[in-house]
Amino acid sequence: MHNLLFLFTLLGWLVVPVIRNDDPSPLYHTGDDPAWAAKNYKDNSWSQTRGNTADKVFWSRTHLDLRQVENELLPLGLQIESFGAFEVYWDGVLIGKNGRVLENGKPELPGTESSYYRIPDSLITPGLHTVAMRTSQFSHPGMQRSISFKIEEYTALLTRPLITMSYMNLMAGAFLTASVYYFFLYLNSRRRQRDILIFGTICLLFFTLLIMEYLKFHVIIPYSDFFIRLEIIGWLTFANALLVPWYFIIQFNFRRGAWLMAALLLTLLLLYGLNYGHYDLTARLYSLAMLITSFIVVLNGIIQKEKGGFIVLAGLLVSTLVNKLVVYDYGLFISFTVIVLCMLYLHSIRASVIEAEHQNAVLLSSRLQLELLKKNIQPHFLRNTLTSMMDWVEESPKEGARFIQALASEFDIMNEISEMTLIPIGKELELCRQHLSVMGFRKEINYIWEQTFIDETQLIPPAIIHTLLENGITHSAPLAGNTIKFILRYSISKEIHQYVFETIAENRQVLTDRAGGNGFKYIRARLTESYRQNWTFDSHATETGWTSTIQILR
Amino acid sequence: MNILIIEDEARIARRLQRMTADFFGNKPTQITICDSLQKGLEHIADHVPDLLLLDLNLNGDNGFQVLEQMVAAAFHTIIVSANTDKAINAFAYGVLDFVPKPFDQDRLFQALTRFVNPSVKPDAGIKYLTVKTAGQVRLISITEVIYIKGAGIYTELHLKNGQQELHDKSLGLLQQLLPDGFERIHKSYLVNLQQAEKIVINPGTRYGLLLKTGEVLPVGRSKYKDLKNKAI
Repeated sequence: MHNLLFLFTLLGWLVVPVIRNDDPSPLYHTGDDPAWAAKNYKDNSWSQTRGNTADKVFWSRTHLDLRQVENELLPLGLQIESFGAFEVYWDGVLIGKNGRVLENGKPELPGTESSYYRIPDSLITPGLHTVAMRTSQFSHPGMQRSISFKIEEYTALLTRPLITMSYMNLMAGAFLTASVYYFFLYLNSRRRQRDILIFGTICLLFFTLLIMEYLKFHVIIPYSDFFIRLEIIGWLTFANALLVPWYFIIQFNFRRGAWLMAALLLTLLLLYGLNYGHYDLTARLYSLAMLITSFIVVLNGIIQKEKGGFIVLAGLLVSTLVNKLVVYDYGLFISFTVIVLCMLYLHSIRASVIEAEHQNAVLLSSRLQLELLKKNIQPHFLRNTLTSMMDWVEESPKEGARFIQALASEFDIMNEISEMTLIPIGKELELCRQHLSVMGFRKEINYIWEQTFIDETQLIPPAIIHTLLENGITHSAPLAGNTIKFILRYSISKEIHQYVFETIAENRQVLTDRAGGNGFKYIRARLTESYRQNWTFDSHATETGWTSTIQILR
Repeated sequence: MNILIIEDEARIARRLQRMTADFFGNKPTQITICDSLQKGLEHIADHVPDLLLLDLNLNGDNGFQVLEQMVAAAFHTIIVSANTDKAINAFAYGVLDFVPKPFDQDRLFQALTRFVNPSVKPDAGIKYLTVKTAGQVRLISITEVIYIKGAGIYTELHLKNGQQELHDKSLGLLQQLLPDGFERIHKSYLVNLQQAEKIVINPGTRYGLLLKTGEVLPVGRSKYKDLKNKAI
């Protein structure tokens, strides 16, 4: 599509203009006389400037030097870009009207800025011709806007801009679809990401910009309202010049984003103020400011090794080149399109990262679930328990039955909680007590369990206290009296829930490299799963044994 | 008979003790229980046992690192463990048997029978001999061994690379662990038959075994027939 537009632009340059004199400038005279339409009227005394004509009728005469015209170019059309309401005379012959000129008693009907006329074939000869215009300019009477003329094959003159517009509308449709899609995505996602909203807005603004740019082909805009459209286009460009860098700031984790945005906003306002009324220049400067800011953010992103940095940098460079090389009307849009494509690419990268994160979270949860279930079937636990159980059954079937009962209860609770990510602390403590009962049969140590200030309704991740208890049993030797004591204390403050788990026993010396550490990994993973970063975990030896502290931010 | 049990589960340790005592019956037997590796090692330093019953996973300690030291020692080791997946590995290191938990009396008796009856070989093959030199434990592949010579309570391993290593186990205990390819040709020599060339008869009907290295080892009178039957 871009290639095609580019081609059109080039074709526009390659065609040899029909008007030979560059920049033919009109001569003005205030007043009204039908004789002024004549081709050979002496207008030497007329003025180069119009002055403020207020509510008076004035005439303008412009001499166009035509080249020899090939037959296939006929019929010729004349495009006039001018303010006001006017009648157009070609060598004294009336060839058309634009609006209705102010007359005594009758108000002016404003014409539109760009109008088209067919030139009679008989009046096309090489050499000088005169376009005389009987004009009134009731609105913006002091506005000195020159009149510009373009002569081309009549149908081409009318249809070429429409063909360009059709391509631009194609682009606009794509942006409209994208904006609707991203708005829906924003509204329906639980996380409500700001960058999606920004991106949707950029697409919508860009769609509007394209529609506004070609609005003149849909609606006849009276010249009196000409600047409203330009003003709207200016503000749309202004908004996009702000939003595009903002999007990059979010995507590339630019640290001083707020400062940069403030500087950009100030610059844009300054540009608006300084060049008030120069719409095309302002828009160009806006997009320049946008490009510079984006470059800063993207280069910083590359230094920070953010994903997609180089692709976007390449996109920005292409965009800058297009902006410089291609005729303004298309250039702005093509360069904008390239940028939006870059953003789309970034968005897809971001989406895939989020998807991967989500997958990891799901994977982690199922892995933790598995780890919980494995606690009771891992050979060290199961086979040692079964061996002890054999011994109890052989020696004292009654005690053996109690042992089996305790193990069954522990299994039941494990089974019940295995698929949950948070369980009531009451359930967790029940699990711990059953585990102690099983281990009591195995180790024949007098285990004592104490708990203080437990709020049974609080939720915690499953089997984390259980894991601390297992560690306590494994790494402790009993004190005199063959006892090991476990104490769980709960406290709550404005900011945190705190669980302190204490083992009062003698710490066994470690001889070999611990294969362990898995218990702590499990606890940390479970805390992260449920509380993200809002927790702390600490575990260390004390004089009386071992203390572990879990803090959960409220 | 001195037997050491290293087991951190009180109930299981007592079960082992009871069954072992039953096995040896009225033979004078001293059975000691240690509930940690630390205590076990300290005990061994003072009283070298005749047999060690060892749990591999104790109080979170990894018993395999200790196992290397144990199999290098003068006594036989029987593993009693829940980690049944480690059995092959344990045999490769040269343990006499691996009793998986949970075990009954029959299985433990089977292991203890292996201890008292040298002709019963372990289920899976030994791959390494473990030697201690200057406090370091090294593994020597048994394919590297040409022959082993008894030297008092120690043994000398003669290796393909020409070096010799001392091993704490007696020739009898090593013979029990090593596969059939190792033949006792003399009260002081255990030979890897793959390294033997032929039997030579010296003047005075003294027999010798010529090795591929050119070395000749004496063959005991009573062993000659056995050896001759195993056509070299």
